[in-house]
Amino acid sequence: MTGERPSARRDLLAAMLDALVPADGGFPSAGEVALAHVLAAASASVELEALLSRGFDAAETAARAHGADCFVALAADAREPVLRRVESAEPEFFDALVRHTYDGYYSHPTVLAHLGVDPRPPQPHGHRVEPRDLPDLGHISGRGPLYRLA
Amino acid sequence: MATVDPIDVLVIGAGAAGAAVAWRLADAGIGVLCLEQGDWVDAKAYPHWQVDWELHRQTDWSPDPNQRRLPQDYPVNDTASPIAPLMYNAVGGSTIHWSAHFPRFRPSDFRVRTLDGVADDWPVDYATLEPFFDLNDRMMGVAGITGDPAYPPKSPRQTPPIPLDTLGATVARGFDRLGWHWWPSDSAILTRDYDGRRACVNCGPCDLGCPIGAKASTDVTYWPKALARGARLITRARVREITLGPDGLADGALYHDRDGQVRRQKARAVVLAANGIGTPRLLLNSRSARCPDGIGNGHGQVGRNLMFHPYAMARGLFDEPLGGYRGPIGCSIISQEFYETNLSRGFVRGYSFQVARGLSPVTSAFGGSIGDRVPWGREHRRAYDARFDRTVTVAVIGEDLPESHNRVDLDPALTDGAGIPAPRVSYTLSDNSRRMLDHGLARAREVLVAAGAHDVVVNPLLRAGGWHLMGTARMGRDPRTSVIDSEGRCHEVPNLYVVDGSTLVTSAGVNPTSTIQAVALYIADGMIRRRR
Repeated sequence: MTGERPSARRDLLAAMLDALVPADGGFPSAGEVALAHVLAAASASVELEALLSRGFDAAETAARAHGADCFVALAADAREPVLRRVESAEPEFFDALVRHTYDGYYSHPTVLAHLGVDPRPPQPHGHRVEPRDLPDLGHISGRGPLYRLA
Repeated sequence: MATVDPIDVLVIGAGAAGAAVAWRLADAGIGVLCLEQGDWVDAKAYPHWQVDWELHRQTDWSPDPNQRRLPQDYPVNDTASPIAPLMYNAVGGSTIHWSAHFPRFRPSDFRVRTLDGVADDWPVDYATLEPFFDLNDRMMGVAGITGDPAYPPKSPRQTPPIPLDTLGATVARGFDRLGWHWWPSDSAILTRDYDGRRACVNCGPCDLGCPIGAKASTDVTYWPKALARGARLITRARVREITLGPDGLADGALYHDRDGQVRRQKARAVVLAANGIGTPRLLLNSRSARCPDGIGNGHGQVGRNLMFHPYAMARGLFDEPLGGYRGPIGCSIISQEFYETNLSRGFVRGYSFQVARGLSPVTSAFGGSIGDRVPWGREHRRAYDARFDRTVTVAVIGEDLPESHNRVDLDPALTDGAGIPAPRVSYTLSDNSRRMLDHGLARAREVLVAAGAHDVVVNPLLRAGGWHLMGTARMGRDPRTSVIDSEGRCHEVPNLYVVDGSTLVTSAGVNPTSTIQAVALYIADGMIRRRR
């Protein structure tokens, strides 16, 4: 991957992310909403950058073995089985890729809104918890002391 | 190296115990100076104000110093432990990131040798500590409700309990169906305004701190009062050793200030409150011709008998949304049905169940404390949606008995940023603890199913669960088997006190902070009494 055009690298990563979390049921794909997060994480970490480069090479190699010119050229339904092979061959890379993808995806306001969670930080508003009476605890306290005197 | 006039009492560590002692002594008119290696946490610095707040849980707000790696942290070699020690270095210490469970130890926890023939009895008992529990409750502010038959009667709680919400009520029904004890947790989180602090707004991630001061971290409870009473606090002050005078008594400490300069602080008495790993580390690093193996370590007891609370986790999957991302993350209900010893269960001593809230969006993807990441690919959406907001996690928190080989010592190579030798943790889970956790997991599965869960998965031992660091400079009457006496004084250096989790003789089957602070206040009371 080293030396490839940034746009090619970006397209490859987006295609991989789309295969990890495809658009489904009104939810966007990870390539749509998590790509920026993964790229930012890679640019902030030399280790991650190197890991991703290694993984990208593995993905391109696996795609060629599958008969395609490159990963992006694979049909959508062929990408997942190719990535399964990459996952087996490069588990450290793949673990990092999935971790950062899920991080970016499930902290994105669009995804949070689809989950039914207010897409805002926890503060300052917090969450409303509907007040309800405590259940009757009499049957528990009525058991008498459950502790040993010492 | 600068020297300063001696202070009456030098406290090392500004966390749960150090703050309590500093306030109590200052309130009695004693001169107090506290050295804290961390800093104050600015309310606006918490991640709760950012939409990507969850991502900070694994980075700069991780409870694991080896992940967090902030300048004020020190590394811990935990490769020889299945449980990773967790802590936070700041004014407030680990109460910054705790979940604020606030149960007390029970009367039997102080008499385990007499009652069950294991470990050791404490040299103090529940009745002696009870007024200090009550005082500490008032200072911290506790949400709860009296009447729990698992405890002797308690004084009224400061605010009503944390709301059960849908999730807690669902699990409570499971306990009721089985006829098992449960009770709304005592939590050091305000549900009403109290003592100048705001009530909780149920934002969720207490484990990342509380930016509004509703959770009782000691930077918002004890410290403002301690400072108002004249206590002094120096932050970014990393102590490298306790020093002894020619009479063999502690006469102060050497520390690195925030600029890295080594300073000497003289004191008439020294109080260690640096947690169950930091305190033995400091004692072991305080070597001299008089104490070649470290201060207080003449019998090789410093750092030994390390206790965690081993946690096992069971997570049930439900059909309906439970609203579990709302409300304090750790606090819902507690069960002590299997707390006291019953040898027919196959182990001695016992455990509690803690029912925590549900999982937030990112944490759901990674499986939370179970660690079963949602699969990627075409099945991802279905699998994630089946999980999110439909899980309940029951934690089994087992009593960990003291064992000499479980210990903290100094790593021969690892150091912190100031070049001070770092701690190394060696720990194995005992057979008794394993049987206890297995029993707990089986019962947790029962209660989840009784509550309506249709699928239960477990984690038999939580690695990222070393919240409670205990026993490494323990209290006792025999200097051959303990480090401090019944008044918190080091057997070998009687003006050197230990007040943090290191003091605990046994670990009980509940979170220890309430008891650590009560013991700290009891020790401070003795210091004041003897001074009069």
